[in-house]
Amino acid sequence: MPAMQASLGERLFRLGVILALGAFGFLMLVPLLKVVSTSFSSPYAVDAGRVFLWPVDFTLASWAKIVERTALWRSFGLTVVVTVLGTTLCLLLTALMAYPMSKREFRPARLLAVMVVITMIFRYPIIPYFLTVREIGLYDNFWVLIVPNLLTAYNLIIMRTFFRELPRELEEAAQMEGCGYFRTLFHLVLPISKAVLATLGIFYAVMLWNQFMHPLMFIDNQHLYPLQLRLREYMVSTESTLASGFEGSVPYNNATLKAATVIFATVPILAVYPFLQQHFVKGATLGSVK
Amino acid sequence: MADAAQARRTSHNTAVGARPQRQGLLRELRNYWPLYAMAMPGVLFFLVFKYVPLAGSVIAFKDYMIFKGLAESPWVGWKHFRAFFEYPDFARVFRNTLLIGLYNLVFVFPFPIVLALLFNELRSMAYKRTLQTIYYVPHFFSWVIIAGITFDVLSNTGIVNALREWVGLEPVLFMQEERFFRSIVVLTSIWRDAGWGTIVLLAAIAGINPEVYESALVDGAGRIRQIFSITLPLIMPTVLVLFLLQIGHFLDLSFEQIYNLLTPMTYGVGDVIDTYVYRVGIIEAQYSSTTAIGLFQSVIGLVLVLGFNSLAKRYQREGGLF
Repeated sequence: MPAMQASLGERLFRLGVILALGAFGFLMLVPLLKVVSTSFSSPYAVDAGRVFLWPVDFTLASWAKIVERTALWRSFGLTVVVTVLGTTLCLLLTALMAYPMSKREFRPARLLAVMVVITMIFRYPIIPYFLTVREIGLYDNFWVLIVPNLLTAYNLIIMRTFFRELPRELEEAAQMEGCGYFRTLFHLVLPISKAVLATLGIFYAVMLWNQFMHPLMFIDNQHLYPLQLRLREYMVSTESTLASGFEGSVPYNNATLKAATVIFATVPILAVYPFLQQHFVKGATLGSVK
Repeated sequence: MADAAQARRTSHNTAVGARPQRQGLLRELRNYWPLYAMAMPGVLFFLVFKYVPLAGSVIAFKDYMIFKGLAESPWVGWKHFRAFFEYPDFARVFRNTLLIGLYNLVFVFPFPIVLALLFNELRSMAYKRTLQTIYYVPHFFSWVIIAGITFDVLSNTGIVNALREWVGLEPVLFMQEERFFRSIVVLTSIWRDAGWGTIVLLAAIAGINPEVYESALVDGAGRIRQIFSITLPLIMPTVLVLFLLQIGHFLDLSFEQIYNLLTPMTYGVGDVIDTYVYRVGIIEAQYSSTTAIGLFQSVIGLVLVLGFNSLAKRYQREGGLF
């Protein structure tokens, strides 16, 4: 009899879990759906508070308006370049440093690991960092969007750990045949490390695409505004600069334009997301710091 | 690398006595130069972008003047540290930072743990997958986007106020009122990162030996009992590591989050150390005093990590980060 009771209680518990997680997941989607539908709704419906999870008085006016913004497209293009070029360089630099660090015969490996881990637990103050980067000549320079982001301690440790766990025999065989370290790394190790490269590539790409504080500190020139900075500019701008013309005479308003801009910047992420998902779960669990 | 070169140079000077060491180093370099060459760019990166700023923190003890340069600027000892403790703005900023840090620890930190435990109870893989896809997505949005969405949802025509109106309540300007700011920070943190945080924990749960559960079942422990007596204790080491990583950042909140959620009306509760340092340090160019604040922040973080790390070690063998 007690067994029966427990199983009923457990079934209820399980049902509760299913419903709670589903409801919470739905709640997480609501803001996104609301912004999407706002971007496709008429400003009157939005102002009247009639827009919830689907567009009301469907219109593409806001979208038509924002895709005309050359500044937005320029920032978009710049960010694509930064992300693609940056991710490539990030992976190259990370692999180059992680590989020796994974080698037992490389004597400074431990020292380097300590050097890297220290930066994880003691954060340098931001002001001397700002002064250093400016001193190097990276202020208001395209490369500031890439170079200071080239390596992160966390990703480096992940890749080192991954390299360490590769079967030793493979590399030994290659070296027997006279392959140097460089050839071994580029022709043997990296081709069999696609999983970790994909994962870290995603981490770096997301970081570069989303970076905000760096450009905020270091970019002054409007032409070098990456997407997030441009987005911020639109977010804080007031009605008059956004929807020129009389409120009510145009088929969009400040709210619908902002909504469309937010979704515009979100689409690329959502577009690649399904391809990412299979990788990042693996990667997020790779990084044991020890 | 620099050390090796240095050692080689000095060993040249001291001739005979250092011979074996020199030979060792030469052999080391002859055999392993590619490894040194590979590590070089990365080492340079860490030196320039992490260690030079760290060394540059000495300006906290100086009156740094751009035109004089670092070396010529006069030493002033603890002046800047004393100054900010006496500064009325600092008390407010420090209090805001502490409160949000505490909120993060109490409300944001445990959330992924609860989520992971619940996810683990789902039996339908398809349902679990679908939910996880939804839960992970916001992590990939920048804070500008998250803030943009938050402002929209909480605006006077937003979904929350529309619902309030529906049940006959007055609309509230959530983003412009101080009393909501901390809750909004907590909720947006959870929205963006709680799902993402479950990944590591779910991996830890997946690593638990199924036999433990089987023997618990034989002993008559139900699912709920199993969660508290098996799953939770066995993922504690992972939770501890996550806690240690978090506690080191107790005072450095996410600048991008706060900065993008702030409005002039919420400065009273939302202005934290990081936004203050950005405004006063970078915009107003008061480099020395804000470096002192940053250094103070980093030292507190370090003390917290080391303190809790040694506590963790006492609490369990192999516990702690290092």
